[in-house]
Amino acid sequence: MNGVSAVFEAELLAPDGQAVPATLDAFLASMERRAFRMAELHLGNREDALDAVQDAMLRLVKHYRAKPAQEWTPLFWGILRRRIVDLQRRRKVRSIVVGWLGGGRDDDGDELPAWEPADTGPGPLEKLHGEQSYADMAAAVKQLPQRQREAFILRVLEGLDVAETAVAMGCSEGSVKTHLSRAMQHLREHLEEWR
Amino acid sequence: MNSSDKQFEQRARALYQEAAQSVDPVTAGRLRAARRTALEAASAHASPHHRARVLVPVGALAAIALAALVIWQRAPQPQPEHNQQASVASEQQDSEYLPPEAEKTDPGLYQNLDFYSWLAANDSSQTKR
Repeated sequence: MNGVSAVFEAELLAPDGQAVPATLDAFLASMERRAFRMAELHLGNREDALDAVQDAMLRLVKHYRAKPAQEWTPLFWGILRRRIVDLQRRRKVRSIVVGWLGGGRDDDGDELPAWEPADTGPGPLEKLHGEQSYADMAAAVKQLPQRQREAFILRVLEGLDVAETAVAMGCSEGSVKTHLSRAMQHLREHLEEWR
Repeated sequence: MNSSDKQFEQRARALYQEAAQSVDPVTAGRLRAARRTALEAASAHASPHHRARVLVPVGALAAIALAALVIWQRAPQPQPEHNQQASVASEQQDSEYLPPEAEKTDPGLYQNLDFYSWLAANDSSQTKR
């Protein structure tokens, strides 16, 4: 857990209100990997996660590059969140279409599970070592309902404050607190061994 | 929030941060490429060349439209024939009621104005009979 400790020291013990990078290039460079992990947590697929991050970067640069740097963070997470939701909807439609065309049932007539793209990326479990693995947490986070997952990732993992999380999620600050509280309750139950 | 919750959050966040740092090289390369693509696309969109590509055709079209409007307004407007006839008749009718111009009229007319008045009065009285 040396790596985790190092990150903990560097990221979590840093004073609040870290300076936002002055240029969009530096800002995106600081966000791209975390954005990828966030998209991967939601979508469970590397290619879709890369598409979502690239699209979010493009939209941020195209439409919001003139905005003050302090606004980039919630704007970027908001764009990425909407892109993720859009991809999830497309998957749902695809599953429905496959079902209509008869592809949703096996030879015995039993319904097949909904279509999900194969996860071709290297699993986090392969990369991380430690008592509490990222894979365990990712599995528990993936089980959360959509809005609870968003609140947990943005508020806890990304460290956005309540107001920024509300902007990114497009909801009120009260809703953020409610979603986060439920998410934490769910995760505490499923990650009991962390205690 | 109790200390246990705080510890839970810190641990989750640390794992997330490390997972972000340990993205495989291929994915990291693709993310860098995606960033460059986004920045280049935006700069190309805002570059003077891009503006020129949009503004030149628009300006040319506007100039052509303006020239066409000016030429159309300067061209003689053809008037309908019946309008011309009506205007000629109207001019003739007006001239009957207007007094004759002093420069073009025979000076004798003004010298014998009383006679001509009497003649006109007599002539009209005869016509009535």
